[in-house]
Amino acid sequence: MTSVITRAERWNFPDWGDPAECQFHRVSVDLELCDGCKLCTIICPANVLELYEVQEKKKVRVKDDHRGCVSCNNCHAICANGAIAASRHYDFIGYYRQLGRGEFSMPRRF
Amino acid sequence: MEITVQVRSRSDLTAPTTPVGAGPTTSARDREDPERIEEEAGRTSAISEIAEGAPWNAVEEAMLRRRSIRKYKRKQVPAHLIRRILEMGRYAPSQGNCQPWKFVVVRDAAMIQEMEEFCVAACRKLSTALDYAAYRKGTRAYFVARAKAKLFSRLQPNMLHPVPVSAVTAIAQGRFAVFHRAPTVILLLMDTRGIGTPEIDIGICGTNIVLAAQSLGLGTCWIGFSSFLNRSPEWRARLGAEKPYKIVEAITVGYPIGDPSRLIARETHEIAWFEDGRKEILY
Repeated sequence: MTSVITRAERWNFPDWGDPAECQFHRVSVDLELCDGCKLCTIICPANVLELYEVQEKKKVRVKDDHRGCVSCNNCHAICANGAIAASRHYDFIGYYRQLGRGEFSMPRRF
Repeated sequence: MEITVQVRSRSDLTAPTTPVGAGPTTSARDREDPERIEEEAGRTSAISEIAEGAPWNAVEEAMLRRRSIRKYKRKQVPAHLIRRILEMGRYAPSQGNCQPWKFVVVRDAAMIQEMEEFCVAACRKLSTALDYAAYRKGTRAYFVARAKAKLFSRLQPNMLHPVPVSAVTAIAQGRFAVFHRAPTVILLLMDTRGIGTPEIDIGICGTNIVLAAQSLGLGTCWIGFSSFLNRSPEWRARLGAEKPYKIVEAITVGYPIGDPSRLIARETHEIAWFEDGRKEILY
């Protein structure tokens, strides 16, 4: 029986601290829509969101160290304005390489 | 007490004799056409035609709007609602109907805090020993932890996945919680003597509970780190998780902070579809 991942990949565990090997997605924020309500920074399971000031208005951004974002989109779910969203899943090199994934899509009514 | 056994025909009693190499045989019961029987009984079940693109029904809504809730209001959930969602867990399917679960409900804030502290301590130990990413690169501690982590990764690739490891460190550093200060924690204990793969049954049971909770306006979160409690004989005794039981999962329950009900996008997954003698890949 063949394997989808190679023997080399089976033994290759990504470096936890290396963003090139552990690619956590950076959620994108629409600054026009963000009203700085802070809710997403509170509920983010990876604690990777923070508020900052743009022209004396509070806005949300992703911290430089955003290790741990799992693209759960809880930030999008709680945002009253739909200003923040993840559009890609995390991926790793080697053993944990993602398989059989397609594009992000809203729930489809078939 | 008198027990009556109804025998419909002799073929129900006598097993058909199978000549060697004659291939599979069907019993009289299998040869009967179920659809003809339901018609004769006048109890044909209805087939509801759902049009393509029909609106989500209540169950689908609950599935789509369920998020893992990690920030709760202080208000306790009424006891009857917890009983109500556990009732849905009781009706979950399980292998051979073995129902390998046991529920432990903890609604005592002080006790939840004790459980929290125990699991946080376990995370601290794990993070210190293995999470080399938490150390400064080039230091001795970094190399020692990294060497250990790479070895253990091969042995425990599911546990030492980069995602839970970063969560363990976040818990150790106080940036993340285990039970999220939820007012109610339901521990899902598993009878390890369950049929086949009882972990799967616990998952199905918990899913019933979680979706029922969602439909009632409650927020929930699966807490896998609750299994750290198994490391303590004292906790196992206190929670009634002694052998053959084991703590497999916990579900926190409470009222969510904010309104996390907006529908979200997710990646699609490959679907292999076999029909009309062909194979198609869909997403």
